[in-house]
Amino acid sequence: MVGETTGLNCRTCGAAIDLRGLTHTRTVVCSSCGTIQDPHDPTVRILQEAWARMRITPTIPIGTRGTVDGHRYDVIGFQYRTIEVEGETYGWNEYVLFNPYYGFKYLSEYDGHWNLVTPLQALPEMAPGRTSAARYAGKRFRHFQSADAATAYVLGEFPWRVRAGDVVHTADYVAPPEMLSAERTEEETTWSHGRYVDGRDIWTMFKMPGSAPRARGIFADQPSPWAGRTGRFWRGFTVLALVLLVVMGLRFATASRKPIFAGAYSFRPGTGEPSFVTEPFAVEGSRPTTVEVAFDTNLSNNWTYFNVALVSMDSGSALDFGKEVSYYFGRDSDGNWTEGSRRGAVRIPSVDPGSYYLRVEPETDARSRTAVNYQLTVREDVPTWWPYLVILGLLAVPPVLVTMRAASFETKRWQESDHAG
Amino acid sequence: MLRAIYLVLGLAVVGSGALGEYRGWFLSRPAQLQNVPKSIRDNPGAWRSLYANSPRTFGGK
Repeated sequence: MVGETTGLNCRTCGAAIDLRGLTHTRTVVCSSCGTIQDPHDPTVRILQEAWARMRITPTIPIGTRGTVDGHRYDVIGFQYRTIEVEGETYGWNEYVLFNPYYGFKYLSEYDGHWNLVTPLQALPEMAPGRTSAARYAGKRFRHFQSADAATAYVLGEFPWRVRAGDVVHTADYVAPPEMLSAERTEEETTWSHGRYVDGRDIWTMFKMPGSAPRARGIFADQPSPWAGRTGRFWRGFTVLALVLLVVMGLRFATASRKPIFAGAYSFRPGTGEPSFVTEPFAVEGSRPTTVEVAFDTNLSNNWTYFNVALVSMDSGSALDFGKEVSYYFGRDSDGNWTEGSRRGAVRIPSVDPGSYYLRVEPETDARSRTAVNYQLTVREDVPTWWPYLVILGLLAVPPVLVTMRAASFETKRWQESDHAG
Repeated sequence: MLRAIYLVLGLAVVGSGALGEYRGWFLSRPAQLQNVPKSIRDNPGAWRSLYANSPRTFGGK
């Protein structure tokens, strides 16, 4: 039954016109001369003759048959519509699809973006809120754009009386990949529901030759390729962060932090040779470990610099390092203040097991007459927390990038709307 | 797919990072000196650190 046609001849040029929309067709446009006619008037009344000199070739030719949502539809009409936004004219194609059992559907095409549009039988509910929105089938559609759409070119059959120059006020609401559109005239408001369809799927539906035109830009209801990924990546990040937390917890819980040397010392500048060596101590275990050398001082508005060498008694080599410890405090117009710390520590990685001693040479302000008393403590197997923070930062990079890409996509989408910042 | 790759690579980062912390890969290693004289134990002042006697300027607010 689908595809049966009746016919008539154009009153202006005499060309044969097929009627595919049966009795539903209110207007038919001659594909040869563009004359708009009423097929139900016995005299084939001319509604508008060759109103436009321009010729627009539909991407999907009139008469093409396709399978949409499992049913066969014929492309029976085509119109080119335009809107003007901030002095610039934008145009898009609309196709009328017809199946005698399932009625009409429409296809819209803009810069390679396609929407399959179905007229709504139920009215969407206008949602309250600062930004205009509509609610339909449990979904909230945000207002995207309102404009006056003019019909600039028509071809084929239409289930309404169409004229070039027809103007309706349109309002689009989006919830990608869906869109609600309201078309208002003085007489009525009609609502339709659009679903974004990839151009390749359109080509498959209508068995079109070649490949679909490449989509340019981002369309109002185009689904974001990043939308679902953002949540998935952050959930993945949460899992990895928890794993990291467990690993860190295990490391800190099992690290021995065993003191392998401790000694109390005092230093007063100008009282002889400041350097000394400690008693030997052993770094135990069977693997290299992190060793911490810590100084707990009684510094008071003073500094001390400790030149230290960790000397191996086994190999005769030394690891040479220094540590400044300074602590100042006072009171000024801002109140009490402190600076620095009385404690300082150095961590040395990968110290092999064996016997060691420290050579320590403290320095301080030569004018200082106060003795610096300090406790020197050496521990082995001391964990460090900040590498875990670095790892956490690295883990956050992919989800942050995905979030930024998703945000960028949405920014570009809404740049085309009435709500562009 | 991307998320799976992220999870696998993420676990690799956690594993290698934790191993790196355990082995001290993230810490800078002090300068290593060879053949330190044994006499240093008897006369510590006869040997100077690489960093000894450099100008120090520390001070409070």
